[in-house]
Amino acid sequence: MEFLNSPKWIDVENWPISWEIGGTIWFPFLESIHVIAAAFVVGSILMVDLRLIGFAAVKYSISTLSKELVPWTWAAFVVATVTGLGMFITRAASHVVNPAFQWKMVLLALAGVNMAYFHFRVYKNIAQWDNAAPTPTHLKVIGSLSLFLWSGVMLAGRWVGHII
Amino acid sequence: MPDFFTSIGTLLEGSFLQSGALWALSTIPGFPPIIQTVHILGIAVVMGSVVLLDLRILGLAVPSQKISEMTSRLMPWLWWALASNLISGAFFLFGRPLRYFNNPIFGWKLSFLIPAVLLALFFQLMNKREEGYWESSSKRLWSARAIALLSLFLWIMVAMAGRWIAYAEYIYYPA
Repeated sequence: MEFLNSPKWIDVENWPISWEIGGTIWFPFLESIHVIAAAFVVGSILMVDLRLIGFAAVKYSISTLSKELVPWTWAAFVVATVTGLGMFITRAASHVVNPAFQWKMVLLALAGVNMAYFHFRVYKNIAQWDNAAPTPTHLKVIGSLSLFLWSGVMLAGRWVGHII
Repeated sequence: MPDFFTSIGTLLEGSFLQSGALWALSTIPGFPPIIQTVHILGIAVVMGSVVLLDLRILGLAVPSQKISEMTSRLMPWLWWALASNLISGAFFLFGRPLRYFNNPIFGWKLSFLIPAVLLALFFQLMNKREEGYWESSSKRLWSARAIALLSLFLWIMVAMAGRWIAYAEYIYYPA
């Protein structure tokens, strides 16, 4: 992983915008928006995941819940990404070698794979289980994995600030 | 800060509650970030319960779900999340009481939190007393919308103020 030690990351930290964010009230502002957006990412996907597990909202079909809630998850995710990038550039070189940050990125990628697997593979057979309660095992696994991975992203994300 | 407020801080300072909290925070490996994450997960449940309900009432989210049904289904989640956050938050509060009870931002957080809780409680109780209360007339629906807007603002500000407790000096002692 040679690129993690590249001096380019220091250049990122020296961008004027990085200095502007890191040295002003912008940082706590972005950070608080980041926390609210991240909480909304998990809060909005929570009902879908619990429905996949068969634990909550079973009177609604999985497709309806997912159609009405996942766009909110994405919107919040975009806000979290923009604010997260804003904070990242202020200390890019330390973040890329921070184990908590690295874990966060890995868990984020795994959460993405889990979501993609659900939407592109499993979702094709939606007619078989859209209204199912209790739900088939593979849906329970996907829902639980999603909650587990997103909680992991949060934990790793929060841990970033304790290492840096 | 009101006097009684700072005196709570002084009362806690040096008490067994403080030593217990500090013991847990400094002895258990990874305890501070773990408890903070539990606290943020609680906020996530606040977002997924009352905030989502507010967005529904305002006509912005989950159109297929009924307001009355959502209220009775989601409100218990809110109360469990708040109970959990009271416990996770207490570790930090007891650990450094003066950091909070002398901090105006913590005062702000409580002044957003208390009305937010009361509004949610009121909304839930009226719906419990009469199923579909908030949807039964257009006057009530408009009251529900006003409550939802206020509630949405208050919950966002609770989370916002919570994060800014650590940055009080940015506001009170600007560079």
